[in-house]
Amino acid sequence: MILSFVFAFSAFAVKGQGPIPNITDNRLDFTVAGIKGDSIQLSSLKGKVFLLDFWASWCGPCRYSNKQLVKFYSKYKDKGFEILSVSLDDEKSAWKKAVAKDKITWMQGFDKGGWDSFAAMKWQVDALPSSFLINKNGDVVGINLEKDDLEKKIKELLELK
Amino acid sequence: MKKIIVVVVMTFVTIALQAQFSKATLQASGLTCSMCSKAVKVALEKIPFVQEVKVNIKSQEYTIIFKQNNNADFDALKKAVEDAGFSVASLKVTGNFSDVSVQKDKHLQLDGKNFHFINGNDKVLNGEQTLTIVDKDFLSAKDFKKYSAATKMECIKTGKAGNCCVKDGMHSEERIYHVII
Repeated sequence: MILSFVFAFSAFAVKGQGPIPNITDNRLDFTVAGIKGDSIQLSSLKGKVFLLDFWASWCGPCRYSNKQLVKFYSKYKDKGFEILSVSLDDEKSAWKKAVAKDKITWMQGFDKGGWDSFAAMKWQVDALPSSFLINKNGDVVGINLEKDDLEKKIKELLELK
Repeated sequence: MKKIIVVVVMTFVTIALQAQFSKATLQASGLTCSMCSKAVKVALEKIPFVQEVKVNIKSQEYTIIFKQNNNADFDALKKAVEDAGFSVASLKVTGNFSDVSVQKDKHLQLDGKNFHFINGNDKVLNGEQTLTIVDKDFLSAKDFKKYSAATKMECIKTGKAGNCCVKDGMHSEERIYHVII
């Protein structure tokens, strides 16, 4: 009974219409290994406008999306925009190689286990790429936004004209 | 006496043609990146005779471990992949064989299923062996064409006994898996 309640709630939390999911919620928070040997806790990013992006080096559409994100990042990082990418790669070496190749300079996390990794399960990631736009309050305000919608929303959240 | 010999021979045949399938490796394809979706993995995991599904990114394959003493239904694997929005690009099934003699274009009953070997004349299969299913929609259209040209028997077009195999005592609707070794 309790389990089914928790399950139903978490299912609603990310994709349903219940209360707006927030990154400080224990059911969504996670810590992943950073690329510089550090560790990154999701909830520590509260206060920033950022995109939580799930991807993998072997995912063609993700690599394509990286190209777009590189442009957005260089355009908006000085205005306060951040990205946290979480890789579902099997091998750290493949992940690191792809990060270097795609010239990614934003926060990069690795969570082993692929589809069954802790972070992917918590955020119910069932396809790659999957992305969540988070406002300064830590609320999820956009899911899988396409290029133009994403840029529009980033500008809105950063209060840019 | 004659009757007894027949019974003994039948029993011997049944025992001799033993094979138990334990796992399969499957490749899925589709219009989008099939490995980028969790859907195929989830669909395969829901099949009752499936114990575990492992995703191998490097070979772009799913390894499907069957439950013990299962009666693995290979069509169910295909259906799951198709229901998830993808198609099967390759399906290889692995089993343990003991003294199974194979002849080209002959039908064999193994593990409760009918098999038609497209190749492998006079081979005797022992130990762990892997068969590739070459029925329609279990591989690319191009490969299917190649293999279906390798036999004159009609049943490869439909995967069913049809008219060509009723002489073996099969019902025309009976499923036959066409395989290569």
